[in-house]
Amino acid sequence: MAPGLQTEFFMKFAIALFSAAHAPSSRRALAFAQAALAGGHEIVRLFFYQDGVHSASDNIVTPQDELDLPAQWRTFVSEHQLDGVVCIAAALRRGVLNQEEAARYQRPAVNLSAPWELSGLGQLHDAVQAADRLICFGGP
Amino acid sequence: MSTLHVLSHSPFTDSRLTSCLRLLGAQDAILLCGDAVYALQPGSAPLAALQARGEALALYVLAEDHQARGLDVPAWATSVDYPAFVALSIQYDKVNSWL
Amino acid sequence: MAQSLLIISRQAPWSGPGAREALDIVLAGGAFDLPIGLLFLDDGVFQLVPGQKAAAVQQKDLSANLQALSLFGVEQLFACGASVAERGLDPAALNLDEVQVLAPAELGALIDRFDQVITL
Repeated sequence: MAPGLQTEFFMKFAIALFSAAHAPSSRRALAFAQAALAGGHEIVRLFFYQDGVHSASDNIVTPQDELDLPAQWRTFVSEHQLDGVVCIAAALRRGVLNQEEAARYQRPAVNLSAPWELSGLGQLHDAVQAADRLICFGGP
Repeated sequence: MSTLHVLSHSPFTDSRLTSCLRLLGAQDAILLCGDAVYALQPGSAPLAALQARGEALALYVLAEDHQARGLDVPAWATSVDYPAFVALSIQYDKVNSWL
Repeated sequence: MAQSLLIISRQAPWSGPGAREALDIVLAGGAFDLPIGLLFLDDGVFQLVPGQKAAAVQQKDLSANLQALSLFGVEQLFACGASVAERGLDPAALNLDEVQVLAPAELGALIDRFDQVITL
């Protein structure tokens, strides 16, 4: 940080998730995102890539006494009206399809719906350009 | 320019910590979370590798993860919660998560 | 001014979609004329070995994507010399003419030159 510059107290974050809902890193990403908003910062976009597409699946069934992370992600994105984008190429490859894609490819199941949008990697780049910080979560 | 490196893989099964330490810059920091907190395991080679860096290394550990695993954070490292994690991501110029 | 992005690719070519999906991020960035860099680190350097036969494991050949990098305006290409040496590879025989082989000590400075980084 150059001397004399004001510290930016409120930052724009782009958050990218690369892991499925059962990965601890998916829960960690949500906790980080919640803390970022609680701290007064803005989330420009959530971009789900690689196995992150599974974190947006409608079809995950968790036992009643366990954390329902996909539901928590959905609630978080909806409540804060965030831009939740799932990479279409990564999703197709992993069998995560919205109504449109399931119809297009004549697949029997739709497992992606609002608030999630399917889009391309351009949205990731767009988010990186718009944000002050890019944070990625993935792995264990 | 400073980078906060975030690691979540166990250092015993994985080479990410070793690779990270190889390219770590003088202004950089490491945040251990998930299974990467096993690097704090007493008497282990990863702990020795981190300790060898001495004061040159700013080491942070996600509180919930070392607590879950019953590991203590040495005096020369700092336990952080999520608000502090967010603050660190701002304090450093960028975040490099070793996915 | 556009923010620059460094992609650090650490996966071997046939260990799953990782190598391919890292390249996809780079190519998409290039297509949008963004300043993108690509560093091959650890097993990622195996993507640069010549004479591979993707068809033998019914995979798509990544070398076409690699050759496309310069067409997409991505010219900042690097490989970690230590990763190359550890794997017994010849830095002069990598399958990408434009790749610069760097010593570990230079990698920190490389990361510093970029505004953002994704290591996958």
